[in-house]
Amino acid sequence: MRFHVIAAALLWAAFVESRKIRGISSSYKRFYRERKSFLCIDGSKMIPFEQVNDDYCDCADGSDEPGTSACPRGRFYCTNLGFRPHYIPSSRVNDGICDCCDASDEYNSHVRCQNTCWNLGQKERAYVEGQMKTLDEGLRLKQQLIEEGVLLWREKQAQLRELQRAAEDLQIKLEEHRRRKHEADRLKEQTLKALKAGDKGLRHQNSTVSHLFQLLDSNKDGSISVDEIKAKVVLVHDEKRVLSEDEALTLLGGGHQMDLSTFQNTLWDVLIQGHDYKIKDAHSAPGGLMSEDPHLKAADRAAEWEATDLKKVEEAYETVNMEISDLQRKLGIDYGTDWEYLFLNGQCYKLKVYEYMYTLCPFNMVSQKSSAGVEVSLGGGCGQDHQRTTTVRWCTRTENRAGREVLAPLQSL
Amino acid sequence: MATFTERMGPVLLVWLAVCLGGTWAVDKGNFKTCEQSAFCKRQRAIKPGESPYRALLETMELTNTRLTLQLINDNNKVRLLLELYRLQGNITRVKINELKPLKPRYEVPDVLIREPPTEPLSLLSQDENGVVLSLGPESQRVIVSARPFRLDIVEGRDVLMSLNSRGLLGFEHLRMRKDTSQAEPETDNKEGADPANQDENTKEEEEKVEDGMWEETFKSHTDSKPNGPSAVSLDFSLPGVEHVYGIPEHADTLKLKTTDSGDPYRLYNLDVFQYELYNPMALYGAVPVMLAHNAQRTTGIFWLNAAETWVDISSNTAGKTVFGKMLDYVQGSSETPQTDVRWISESGIIDVFLMLGPTPREVFSQYASLTGTQAFPPLASLGYHQCRWNYNDQEDVRSVDAGFDEHDIPYDFIWLDIEHTDGKRYFTWDPHKFASPKEMLQGLMDKKRKMVAIVDPHIKIDTNYKIHNEISSRGFYVKNKDGGDYEGWCWPGSAGYPDFTRPDMRAWWASQFAYDQYEGAMENLYTWNDMNEPSVFNGPEVTMHKDALHGAWEHRDVHNLYGLYVHMATAQGLIERSGGVERPFVLTRAFFAGSQRYGAVWTGDNAAEWDHLKISIPMCLSLSLVGISFCGADVGGFFKSPSTELLVRWYQTGAYQPFFRAHAHLDTPRREPWLFGPENTALIREAVRQRYTFLPYWYQLFYLAYHTGEPVMRPLWVEYPQDPATFALDDEFLLGRDLLVHPVTEEGARGVTAYLPGKDEVWFDIHTFQKHNGGQNLYIPVTMSSIPVFQRGGSIIPRKLRVRRSSTCMEDDPYTLYVALNNQRTAEGELYIDDGHTFNYEKKEFIHRRFSFSNNVLSSVNLEPEAQFTTKSWVERIIILGASNPSTITLRTADGINQLEFDFDASMSVLTIRKPGMNAGADWSVSLQ
Repeated sequence: MRFHVIAAALLWAAFVESRKIRGISSSYKRFYRERKSFLCIDGSKMIPFEQVNDDYCDCADGSDEPGTSACPRGRFYCTNLGFRPHYIPSSRVNDGICDCCDASDEYNSHVRCQNTCWNLGQKERAYVEGQMKTLDEGLRLKQQLIEEGVLLWREKQAQLRELQRAAEDLQIKLEEHRRRKHEADRLKEQTLKALKAGDKGLRHQNSTVSHLFQLLDSNKDGSISVDEIKAKVVLVHDEKRVLSEDEALTLLGGGHQMDLSTFQNTLWDVLIQGHDYKIKDAHSAPGGLMSEDPHLKAADRAAEWEATDLKKVEEAYETVNMEISDLQRKLGIDYGTDWEYLFLNGQCYKLKVYEYMYTLCPFNMVSQKSSAGVEVSLGGGCGQDHQRTTTVRWCTRTENRAGREVLAPLQSL
Repeated sequence: MATFTERMGPVLLVWLAVCLGGTWAVDKGNFKTCEQSAFCKRQRAIKPGESPYRALLETMELTNTRLTLQLINDNNKVRLLLELYRLQGNITRVKINELKPLKPRYEVPDVLIREPPTEPLSLLSQDENGVVLSLGPESQRVIVSARPFRLDIVEGRDVLMSLNSRGLLGFEHLRMRKDTSQAEPETDNKEGADPANQDENTKEEEEKVEDGMWEETFKSHTDSKPNGPSAVSLDFSLPGVEHVYGIPEHADTLKLKTTDSGDPYRLYNLDVFQYELYNPMALYGAVPVMLAHNAQRTTGIFWLNAAETWVDISSNTAGKTVFGKMLDYVQGSSETPQTDVRWISESGIIDVFLMLGPTPREVFSQYASLTGTQAFPPLASLGYHQCRWNYNDQEDVRSVDAGFDEHDIPYDFIWLDIEHTDGKRYFTWDPHKFASPKEMLQGLMDKKRKMVAIVDPHIKIDTNYKIHNEISSRGFYVKNKDGGDYEGWCWPGSAGYPDFTRPDMRAWWASQFAYDQYEGAMENLYTWNDMNEPSVFNGPEVTMHKDALHGAWEHRDVHNLYGLYVHMATAQGLIERSGGVERPFVLTRAFFAGSQRYGAVWTGDNAAEWDHLKISIPMCLSLSLVGISFCGADVGGFFKSPSTELLVRWYQTGAYQPFFRAHAHLDTPRREPWLFGPENTALIREAVRQRYTFLPYWYQLFYLAYHTGEPVMRPLWVEYPQDPATFALDDEFLLGRDLLVHPVTEEGARGVTAYLPGKDEVWFDIHTFQKHNGGQNLYIPVTMSSIPVFQRGGSIIPRKLRVRRSSTCMEDDPYTLYVALNNQRTAEGELYIDDGHTFNYEKKEFIHRRFSFSNNVLSSVNLEPEAQFTTKSWVERIIILGASNPSTITLRTADGINQLEFDFDASMSVLTIRKPGMNAGADWSVSLQ
């Protein structure tokens, strides 16, 4: 009870004091002690004390008129009991607009100002409390985010190491497969060469040579004539046309007849290669005859097998490497000192402003899409468009617009 | 605001592609030269000294109010009717029309405030060569010479002005088109006495059809000209005159130049994209009034014609050097200097008012008696206006408003350009950006501030738009030559143009400003009419086709009047919405003679260049001379972005020009006053604050302009008419009689040289109180904070030094009187106070006082004893410049006698009287002993 009385007395004293010298804060009271004269606070001039707050500006610094609008550079102190005190320019004293919530600035004007300080104070206190709560909540959520972030970070790091190991293994495998493919290719090449050179499978070749010779030698007289060539041999690229006399002669090496042994060393090669000429109505190229060779077939299959294997390994290697670089890029971004922004990676937020839809994917891209459907990039993380940038301002809320998380006192990115 | 935005339609883009053309200057090719304007070319080809016109003296009729007389063109025998009136106040009116026109010719309505009252004319003498009439009590006479026809106005032995003295009168009579009139007899109004061979000559004359008489094509536009040729022209000689002024709007010097070597000055309201300086091209407005001045006399010519008009000026002294002129003078061999002017209009009649002065003040009053005076604006509109194309939304408006408070800069109006509307549909608001306009306006009202929103005359053709539907269903749109609604491209895309020449259309338009019609409007919302030339993006010369129809009249006849009518109807709307109580504030870009009655005018889309800052002075001075006092240029420059130095200098200049508004193009970076660092914010704040301290003086000057027609902003020669050194000055100006302003308009200036007029005058620097003698060129060193302004010794200027958030907040504030003593130690001044916003001043609800200082006594007397008004304002301080140190100072009021405290600064001879405290409306005297 005694405490209350004292408090009331103090308040009353303060009230009396401030009514006497209007527009000053308690810390300035010492300049305005009632005496015969008043010294302008800047020391520039001494005036009679009655001229303090007499609505005429005497001091260059405006200190003689703290409670009126007389001085151009003056200021007026709103005590605003129940709310925050503050200064307003003297020009706002008695201008018909309520500036101080305690209405003290409009003591001589036609406007009736309500004292709104208590309400404002209430609101302010509620707001501050809310802010504190938010701050606490935010800090808690931030901590959670940090923990999540750290975990995620570690997980990603582990993932990266695993991938790097896999890449190393694949590299070894890759080299092995390259070697094997090379070997198979070489074998195939050798087989083919041998076949051509005739040092292997000569009998087969002979029979083939004689088979072909007999095919051409229509009248079975043991030699091939110009007419027989013209009847059986055609151009690969123009099967319908019958060869000319000259072309046939050329194939026969300039003579009109060709026996088996000459055939084996000249025309047979030409037909086997099958580049320019072939046997009329032959269903497969002369080369096809060759592929029937079981050795060649085996070598070919082996080479193909190895090539497929190599390709698979190469693809796997590439995939792993891409994943590694992607992960490294993501891990290279600054997610805040404690990885508190890490959760934003991969999220996208949308905001509609008038006719525009904005999409923000942190660490990735921002775009603006008009209702007409035109989409404009406002900057992206991939560096393809450096003309536009977007400034994202973070506000501290307990929930973000998408209705999930958090942001406590985070710094802007 | 004539430029582009990507939101515009494709047709506009085509237009823009033409306009932009890769350069920053106007594309002159978009606008006609005299050579490209068929009537101008025809009329300009008339050679002097061969006038075919003869006065038929036997047809003369003289009544108490007028003289009429027929003129005949001896080449084609077409007769004209000359009417001559002597008007009250030393004005002579000359009208010339066809005696029997094929159909009526347009006579401009609604510009004269009434049928001008006449005075009797009397016949002094007459013979077969002419008549002499007396023009009232002075020794003024008018001499009508018969062959060739000529009018001379003479006073004593001096010829003041001569008409058709060079024989350039031209009057293209209306005629039938030859291919359609073959069956009809040639003409029926010929003199029966004409010899037959002359008749044949007549036919020959008639048959001479020149190119462009019946059809004219400019760029891709064809003017169908169904009425054929109809131009009128007349020459005026001004003996003894070397300086002529006026005929705005041109971006040119105050003193008009001779036009012999180029095009005439053109008067044809046009939306000129990025106009060029120092040339005679037409701009947004036209006032066909020219003032002529020499040391003895000032006269004026008011050519009342609203069609496209060209004005040629030539001078027999132009081009002569000062030395040459001196030589002439010494040798006595000189011919009298003389200026000759020739007016050419495309249609209508000749209706010209010769305002015979003899003083500048009398010419202003003569012109005011014909077309009225400046509308008395609401006090707040004399404050600072913050504009931009565009403040984006309500939040933007709120934050700019808050910015002014944060930086402690006063302002009264914030402006919204076209983007505030719902798709350029005027009288509407963008539903997203300005969803709750009343909330926004209330927010401004709470701070005692106001807003202006744009309302342009082009109406979007959209059947979901109420304004369009109503205009369309009432048949109020201008019609095209085929009788359908005229359509053109403007901001909204395809648009119609209401026919503002119709009184019923104007009445309907005015009704749309009513609070129950204009949704979202409140009493602190005012209006801006832009694009009212009218601007038609896809029209010839970016305006309306001349063969479009306003009822019976072609657009050709009324073109220069369209903008005035838009302005008139809008101002009327603002008056009516308050039941006739509140004064309107409407800004217009297009104007004509008489537009001063409806509000303010600005110089259109200028650019952020030093030369544009400089030209703002002669442009507004030229407008001031022809009655339009409420003039300003966009502070900072509309196109392009000003350097910080230019912006600061522009604020400093604009603070001392009548209409003080910053404006900027959509594509320019933001430039609110606080965006250029604290130093520049402080410089701008100081300039704006100076403006507000002088608001009582501005208001008093506007009251004077409203009352008498005297301009607010004046060229020096108006007050020093006998001092030839002032005749061509247009880098400095006077506000009223008492403030001389020489703004800094040079980049990097270290000093300016101001001419201080008046050999017997003294001038006080308003900042330092330093006294300077008149009649000298004074070099003034300047820094970035300098605005060279001087108060005339002999004047008393009331100011309010407590600058607040807006002018309305300063209503009850006390005055400081600045008494500047002249060499005779006397001074005089006035104070005008009223409520600042209603028409109650018409009911004598105001205070009008005269202050005078003589014999060491300063007193305040009532100038209007019948007027009734009370104010809370009092006198807080009296500062006497050029004073000596008194021993005591005594105040005498009805309440008694008081001794006053004072302070004397001997170094500057400035006496400051502390807190006399009497009410500003009271009788009082202060004596110094």
